This record gives sequence, structure tokens and C-alpha cells, in this order.
Amino acid sequence: MISFRVEARTGVPPYLQIVQQVRQALRMGVLDVGDQLPTVREVVAAVAVNPNTVLKAYRDLEREGLVEARAGQGTFVRRRPPGPPPGTHSRLGRSLERWVREAREAGLDDESMESLLRITLRAGDAAEAESEEIA
Amino acid sequence: MSTAIETHELSKRYRRVSALTECTVTVPEGRVSALVGPNGAGKTTLLRILAGLASPTGGTAAVLGGAPRQDPAFLAEIGFLAQEIPLYRRFTAEDHIRIGAHMNPRWDASLVRTRLAELRIPLGQRVGTLSGGQRAQVALALTLAKRPRVLLLDEPVAALDPLARRKFLATLTAGVADAGGELTVVLSSHLVTDLERVCDHIILLAGSRVQLSGDIDTLLAEHKVLVGPRKDTAPIERTHKVVQEVATARQSTLLVRLGGPVIDPAYQAEDVTLEELVLAYMGADEASAGKRLTTVGESS
Amino acid sequence: MTWLVWRQYRGQAAIASVLLAAAAAVILADGFQIASRWHSILVACAGNTACLQQQAPLVNGVVSDLPYISLLVPAVVGMLWGAPLVAHELEARTSDFAWSQSITRMRWLTVKVGWLLLAAAACGGAIAALTTWWSGPINAMSASAFAPGQFDTQGIVPIGYAVFAMALGITAGTVARRTLPAIAVVLGGFIGLRLVISDFLRQHYMAAVTTYYSVGGSFTAPGQSWVLAQGAVGPAGVVVATGWGDLYPALPASCQTLLPTAGTGKSGSLSAVFSCMRAHGWRGFATYQPSSRYWPFQGIETGIYVLLAAALIGVTFVIVRGRDA
Repeated sequence: MISFRVEARTGVPPYLQIVQQVRQALRMGVLDVGDQLPTVREVVAAVAVNPNTVLKAYRDLEREGLVEARAGQGTFVRRRPPGPPPGTHSRLGRSLERWVREAREAGLDDESMESLLRITLRAGDAAEAESEEIA
Repeated sequence: MSTAIETHELSKRYRRVSALTECTVTVPEGRVSALVGPNGAGKTTLLRILAGLASPTGGTAAVLGGAPRQDPAFLAEIGFLAQEIPLYRRFTAEDHIRIGAHMNPRWDASLVRTRLAELRIPLGQRVGTLSGGQRAQVALALTLAKRPRVLLLDEPVAALDPLARRKFLATLTAGVADAGGELTVVLSSHLVTDLERVCDHIILLAGSRVQLSGDIDTLLAEHKVLVGPRKDTAPIERTHKVVQEVATARQSTLLVRLGGPVIDPAYQAEDVTLEELVLAYMGADEASAGKRLTTVGESS
Repeated sequence: MTWLVWRQYRGQAAIASVLLAAAAAVILADGFQIASRWHSILVACAGNTACLQQQAPLVNGVVSDLPYISLLVPAVVGMLWGAPLVAHELEARTSDFAWSQSITRMRWLTVKVGWLLLAAAACGGAIAALTTWWSGPINAMSASAFAPGQFDTQGIVPIGYAVFAMALGITAGTVARRTLPAIAVVLGGFIGLRLVISDFLRQHYMAAVTTYYSVGGSFTAPGQSWVLAQGAVGPAGVVVATGWGDLYPALPASCQTLLPTAGTGKSGSLSAVFSCMRAHGWRGFATYQPSSRYWPFQGIETGIYVLLAAALIGVTFVIVRGRDA
């Protein structure tokens, strides 16, 4: 059974943290198709978040098609999130190793590399959001 | 969606001091509302008026559709937990359960016993000898046992250590989950990180006035932090409301309430956190000034 | 709600019961002794009133102060139980708990005040009954049925005092919101009012009886009545109630010369003065309250205290209903 962590001050809204943790659990095999997600009450009693937060997260996951709510029984996993084809991880991992080597030779330390990654991710999100708005 | 709490121009004056001035707020049913503000801003006064323990000197307050009044049916719908955790110190938790059963038409004694058993709080021990956190849990359980529809909590976690605080909030949110949307909570506190996870509505009091109120998600979407070179803010202020400006010689950071899209390319817009929002509005307690300018470093 | 009152006060009720029982035991034991002593005196004097009045006091020891101790009981009851009733709940903020439950403030107050006034009346009544029984022989020997220390420790007035002191404590505590000032008010207010009423008001409950008699003749007021004033009254209505010093200037000159004057060696005779006074139309008078009015007076005084208590409790209710908690 999955347990959630909701952290304040991360800039990520609580409900989104829950969504992400469910997706991550599915990817890593902690949650399998057919498993039951903890009830809203269980989550709330363990983690002290607003029940609406959990409801919102579960609704989002349901909209994505990852889970389904069965009346009177609970929320169950329907399928895994669409993942990269097999071999993608190892391929990308290798190219990442090459990039890290290059960055180290250029003189970047671990912190600069992490910060560069974060900025790039955020810029990517912003560009996506903008294109969504315009569209 | 119906309204659980509604005030209109609510005021409370004590001789020469105004505790509340023309406060107008609306809390929809099912919300967990954070009541924040500096000490002395009027949070306790507001909660006590809503609970019927004090009466306003101006304006109106309505809880579940009616003014707070001395009437068993109304009192049964309200749960109030004062800051000092008022319990009879010489009595045990079990005594308090019996008292509650005698004094309330709707009383869920098993709820209290189950909750306290989960928390391993002894029922037969005098409440005065329990720790602060345990007393707060007993008081909260007793308040929830009334099965109220509106719960008013005045700084209930102020004196608790982090673990006790977490447990208290977990009990509270479990109570909200159990009530299935029929319980509305107003919870005053200083700790914004707690409030962020537990609350979905906010009422911000500063200088006895309501500076900000509404659903947290909506308010966060309506505000942005604009970072850019230091320059005249008049163009920005034509469309948006500048709540706070922090400026160095070269750069200024503005917290604005959006009136439309931000088109000035000089500014980079970032999402605002709840804590930033609260701090900015807490500083804005002069009736006329809605904006505070802080200068950092070399000043021009 | 009654259950809550019981639970809050059961400890104190137990203590009070024990104290009352102990007091009763002491009073009963002493009372039987007094009664047997009285019986032997009655036998010895065989109806001779002079003999009776010459007997040594029947009481001695600690218990002789019983009447004065019993005066304190109402004050103590008001201070210890009345003052904290509302004030302690406000001080400890347990009123926030009680007034957030579904019973209203009015019901909460009614039940609490009701039981405590009842308890006060019961305490006052118990002490009054014990003291009245114990004082039987002493009453037979006393000069006035209305003597302070006798009238106000027996009968039904102690019930009125206790109820009043309780009401005073409750109201003072409600107004002051704190127990200690309320205790001070009970002490001062209760003692003050008791003194004012017993010294100034009591004699006026009913119009006193005035009888006239021949100046110089002997007069005894009917048994155990309360003599308020005694003296001589002249033809013009001049009243002299105190001693010769005031009488002298009021007399006509012809009578004045008959008075023995100290220091001049001039002798005179009182009987000559008296016949002179009689000749000039002077009479003796006595104003008193007859002992038959004992129970009416008890009723009136109890009524006064109970009415005051009711007024105070009314104030308490008004304050609790309207004031911010």
C-alpha cells in the first residue's frame, strides 16, 4: 500500500504532489493494476491534508484514466501511465552520462548542473503552458 | 453550494478600541478556512462573535443562515474551541464525555472514546495532568462529538510541539473527511505551512479589517510576483493592484493582484506562494495604503 | 445539567455534611446538658421568678459562643460557594466550554443557582433548628425575645440570611468576574447589611406599643418584650428618655428646686420630685415591642432578606444573558 508525503514550501500544490506520487509508484511497480488506493480518510488521517486535496488528486488521476472509482468500494488502479518504450531509459541514461562528463570538464559542479536542469525543465513547462494558453 | 458563515460590515468596539471594523466575509459550506493575522488583529473576537459568546456593535453575522443566538438548536450546530483549551481540570476525559452527553442532544460518545484510544490518551486521568497536546486532542474530540456543522477553532495548535500539532491536524482533517462535506471549519493560526496543507479558504485580518478573503486556489491564481528592473510602477498599477513592492537600487519585486494579463516584457512573472501572499497582505494594514514599498541595500 | 452541578460540588457537599454532622453532635450533647441543668434549677426555684433571674448563666465553654458562630455560617456559605459559582468559571474560562454546549446560558445558570440557593437554605435551616433547640432554656431566662444574638440565630431568619449571602456572593462574582473581590464584597456587604437592619430597621417592622404609667411608679414591660425607650413625658409633649441630666432642664422650676443637688449638700427626696411632676401633668411611658410579635417579626425580616436575594439573582441573570462571555 502506498503512503504519501505532502511537503510544504516546494512550490508544488499538495494535490499535484499526490498525483505525482501515484504516477511514480505505478512506474516503479509499488502500485500494480487492480490495487486499491488508500481511502480519502486514511490519507487524511496519516498526512493531515484537506480531504478535498485528496479528492481532487484522485479525480485528476481518474480523468487521466489511471484509476477508477467503484461506488461503495474505493478507488482502484486501472492501468499504468504511458511510459517510454523499453530501452529508452538506458539510452537516455547513457546520453545523460555523456552530458555530465562534458559539464564536469567545462567546470560545472553538481549544484550548477542541478540548477541548470531545473531552469530548463521550468522553461519547458512555461513554454508548454504558453502554447496551451494561446491554443 | 450554500454559505456556512457570512458577515456584513461586522464591527466590534470596546470603549475606545476597535477590535473589528466593517468586516465582510463569506465562507461556503464544507470549507476549511484559515483565519490569519497578527496578534490583536481581531481573530479571537471574530470567532467568539460567530460562536455567540460575544455580540457585535455594528453590522451583522450569520452562521448557517441565522444570527448567532442563545438557542439550543443553534448551539448544537456550532463547535467552539477557545485558545486556552477550556476543560474542567479536575475532571477526567470520561467525565467530560458524560457532561457532553447531558448537555447536548446529539452526542457521539463512542467517537471520543475511539479517537482517544487511537491516540493512547487515558480516559480515566484528570485532564489537568495531561500534556498540552493531549488536552487539545481531548477538547477537539469533545467538540467533534457534538457533530457540529460549523467548527470554530481559536489558535488550537499554538502551544503544541510539532508532533502534537501534526496529530491534532490529522484528527481535524479526519473529522472533516468523516463529515462528507457537511462540516465547515474556521481555524485561526500563525503557522502558514500547516494552513497550506489543511485549508482551502483564507480570511486575513490585519488592523481589525479584512485584508484578504476567499478560496486559496483562486487567490493564488489571481496573484503573481513580478520581478524586473526598478522603474515607475504607474503603468502596472493602471491594470493591476500592487500589493507590495520590494526594491533594491536596480531591481524591484512586485506582488500584484492581476487585473488582466501581464504584457510588460521587462517583468518576469512567477507564481506566488501562500506565505508570500499572507506576509504581503499582513503588512498592508493602513486603511488607505494598499501597497508597501520596502527598499533593500543602497537606497536612491 | 443537574448531574454536572452535583459532580462539581459533591466534594464540597460531603465536607459540609461532615461539618454539619459534627456541629450537630456537639450542639446536641451540650444541649442535653443545659436542659438537665435547667430542669434542676426549675425544681430548686419552684416558680420564683426572682430566683430564676439570679441563676448563674447556663452556658459555659466554647459552645457558649454558639450563637455567634452560627452568625458566620451564612457568610461562609456565601463566600465559599456563592462567590466562585460564576466567577470561577469565568476565571478558569470553563464558561467557554459550558456555554458552547447545547444548553443555553440561562438554563445553565438557573440549575446552578437553584441548587445552590436550596443548599444555602438547607444549611441555614439546619443551623437554625439546632440553635433554636439548644437555646430553649436560655430563652426562658432572657429578658427580651428580640435580643441580638438570640433573635437572629433562631427561628427562620437564618434561612433568609443564608439565601441572601449566597445570592450576594453569586451576584458579586458575576459582576466582578473574579472570585476574590466577590468574597470581600460578601463579607463586607453581608455584615454591613445585617448590622444596619438589626440596629436600625428591626425595631420599626411594626408600630411599637406605648403605655403610660404613673411617674415614679414601677413598671415592668410584659414578659420578654423589647423595650425600645422608657422615660417621662411632660404635658407639652416633651419627652425625656435618658437620665436626670436631661430631665432637669425640662422640669418646671418648682420641681427643679426639689432635686438633690450634688456638691451643695442640699438634700431632697425623689418621691417629692415625682409628686411634683405628677402634679404638673408628667407621666411615665414605655415604648416596646411585645413578645407576641416574635413570629411576625421573624417573617418580616426573613421576607426582606429573601426579596433582596431575589433582586440580586435577577441582576445576575440579566448580566449573564447580555454580557460578552
